[in-house]
Amino acid sequence: MASLLARGLSQLKSKEMRDYLTSTVSNKIFDLLKFANWGLPLAALADLKKDPEIISPKMTVALCFYSMLFMRFALQVKPKNRLLFACHFANECAQLMQLARFLNHKYGTPKPMKQYQVPSDLVQSK
Amino acid sequence: MFILSDLYRVSIGVGNRVLTPRMKQIVKWDHPAGMKYIHFWAPLMKWSLVGAGFGDMLRPANKLSLNQSISLFATGATWSRYSMVIVPKNYMLFAVNIFLAFVGGQQVARIAHYRYTHLETPNEKEKQI
Repeated sequence: MASLLARGLSQLKSKEMRDYLTSTVSNKIFDLLKFANWGLPLAALADLKKDPEIISPKMTVALCFYSMLFMRFALQVKPKNRLLFACHFANECAQLMQLARFLNHKYGTPKPMKQYQVPSDLVQSK
Repeated sequence: MFILSDLYRVSIGVGNRVLTPRMKQIVKWDHPAGMKYIHFWAPLMKWSLVGAGFGDMLRPANKLSLNQSISLFATGATWSRYSMVIVPKNYMLFAVNIFLAFVGGQQVARIAHYRYTHLETPNEKEKQI
């Protein structure tokens, strides 16, 4: 396992990879754009620890539906785009988690009820 | 969830039976990227993101998530460039991603403006990060 990782890293640092990243081949943008959609699930995962006040319910629900449809799209397109599928699967999970946190924050925590002042002459002192 | 997919399938079946061949030609019913297939509906759902972003304009700026706004802007900008380069050019994809980039950029600008004008106590600063 460690040697696999070491070999992977050495391939990333190799001359071919460095030449590829600094080249201006027109196909490069297509290869790098496959990772363009990963920003959304990563952003949602980074937001998991923050205040649930910043979660926007409309956006979260819209992203849930969007990811559901794109999961099917990624598998139906020819050739199958499994990276896109993985990205939207991760996004779906993250958005559902955010939705659960939002619902918990809004409707789960009991809001304090209005406190009525009891007139002092009615209070029975022991 | 299954109810929605049944509803979809029923409406497609109804469409198949009710529409005349001429009408089917007009709306491109049998096109491989037409209304019967996911290739049509999936990019259409991206407009719902734009709508949700518009709806968020009413939220106060301290209730917006910076991470999400930046990622929406980045994905919109990248895909709008990409959709003009692929063959065939996909103008619908271009339009939706341009709008998404605008909405994301607008949210980022609102958050930046709010933080610039409201950076007062160290307590607030902690909350923002």
